[in-house]
Amino acid sequence: MVTQLVAGEYHLSYERQGDDLILQMGPQHPSTHGVLRLELVTDGELIKRITPHIGYLHRCFEKHAEAMTYPQVIPYVDRMDYVAAMSMELGYVLTVEKLMGLTDLPERLQYIRVIMAEFQRIASHLLAVGTYGLDTGAVTPFLWCFRDREKILDLFEWASGARLLYNYLWIGGVMQDLPPGFAEKAMEFLDYFEPRVKELNDLLSFNQIFIERTANIGVLPPDVAISYGVGGPNLRGSGVRWDLRKEEPYCIYDRFDFDVPVGTGEFGTLGAAWDRYMVRVREMLESIKILRQALDQLPGGDPNEAMPRRVRPPEGDAFMRTESPRGEIGFYIVSDGSEKPLRCKGRSPCFTAISAIDAIGRGGLIADAVAIVGSLDIVLGEIDR
Amino acid sequence: MRQYLLNIWNAFWTVLVGMRLTWRHLFIPAVTVQYPDERWTLPPNSRMQLFVNIDDCIGCRQCERACPVECITIDLIKAVPEDEREASTGHKVRFHVTKFDIDMAKCCYCNLCTIPCPTECIYMTPSYEDAAPDRFDLIYHFAKIPPEKIPELEEKARRFEEEEAAKKTKKKAAVAAN
Ligand code: SF4
Ligand code: SF4
Repeated sequence: MVTQLVAGEYHLSYERQGDDLILQMGPQHPSTHGVLRLELVTDGELIKRITPHIGYLHRCFEKHAEAMTYPQVIPYVDRMDYVAAMSMELGYVLTVEKLMGLTDLPERLQYIRVIMAEFQRIASHLLAVGTYGLDTGAVTPFLWCFRDREKILDLFEWASGARLLYNYLWIGGVMQDLPPGFAEKAMEFLDYFEPRVKELNDLLSFNQIFIERTANIGVLPPDVAISYGVGGPNLRGSGVRWDLRKEEPYCIYDRFDFDVPVGTGEFGTLGAAWDRYMVRVREMLESIKILRQALDQLPGGDPNEAMPRRVRPPEGDAFMRTESPRGEIGFYIVSDGSEKPLRCKGRSPCFTAISAIDAIGRGGLIADAVAIVGSLDIVLGEIDR
Repeated sequence: MRQYLLNIWNAFWTVLVGMRLTWRHLFIPAVTVQYPDERWTLPPNSRMQLFVNIDDCIGCRQCERACPVECITIDLIKAVPEDEREASTGHKVRFHVTKFDIDMAKCCYCNLCTIPCPTECIYMTPSYEDAAPDRFDLIYHFAKIPPEKIPELEEKARRFEEEEAAKKTKKKAAVAAN
């Protein structure tokens, strides 16, 4: 793989190759959602090749995790995908529990986990949808999405004390139980939020200008998506019905009744940017469905009953994948029986999404590059770790 | 041609639908909080600046060990028995805490340090306006023992230890003699 890269795939920046012009997009670019540099080889207005350059946000998460005890890794896992920290925590925590063979967890804990993960999914999709509107030139939806996202963050802050990096889901427990009255407040929010999704649809999703801008560009055919290993809304946008919550239910997702929205290609081509966008909007509605059921059934009791005092998994390894808002997040942890992991590997969904960008964007217009990157909803903190 | 006109009509119509919403929102009060003039109330368990109630700290170093970024530094001197006191929670304080520094510039506000504390004397407060012009102003010193007293305490601890050692050797010698 490396030799292949050396043998001519890489181009030195700012050098002209024949009639091609190399255009650098990023690392400081308002629409790259982090520090990403895209090297566009262009021929006139057309893109001949896109090479993503990553690593500007590398913080040595995997190496660093080896120097810390298992609970101490959780704040760092938060910082991988800072937009969906709860989902990251859930993935990591479930992996460690699998490694420890911890299965007998209190009912309340299981419900809290699902509630937090689904709220996080809504919050994350709100950010994705809002900023995508911004990328394509619509400012109002961005502000409205952030207004609603703030309300979710308020709920999180009430429960955990922090707004963005929670360190809330712990191995075998949570930092503190939900405050009294949380379920009612959360229900109140859902009642408020559900009509807002319709507003968003009226304002942005079915706006003809937005559709024209996104419906036929950045087409990711299903077979290409699968061969790149793309997951989550990006894969479902291509019409593949694959959701780990349905296929390999973890936590207690098999108890809830919800659908998996997929891209339909109702405007233009299947797997275009609009489909990926719309899957996110529809997923928010499904999350609301799950949340209503979970909040209704939320049992009492102490969620921290089974929390181990010392986390010391036996020798061995474990891999676990969960459905984060951006796709399949996987953790692979090797333990040598001590308090610190021997190896902790994160499998990042955004990394696979960005690796497919050449297949998506090749042959498109330069002006569409922003709309394509935005539709993939990548978070650079997670790619670089 | 028909498609073309339809597109234009659709664009107009959907923009109008959006405009109707925007109009309606014009009469909804704004959600923006004008920050320095207004503040919202934070929930009581907000995780902001750390605070240490040093009178209750028994010097067990649990918080130092729990911290993932190692931003807590604690120096201890063993107290002689007549200097031992009781914390308000009933725990014996067997150490003089001569240094208890928290580097809030490094802290990641993860709350891991407050959980293991046996006397619950380290906790997070909802105060968040603590910016400082100098990075070193963010190192908070919580220890109350003045630095000029440290040699004295050290001397005391050393003498006490010597005495103990002498006692022990004497005892050993006595045991051996028997
Ligand atoms: S909050 Fe976290 S980072 Fe800050 S001092 Fe406590 S353990 Fe260390
Ligand atoms: S855990 Fe509490 S008592 Fe122990 S050293 Fe830290 S602050 Fe002091």
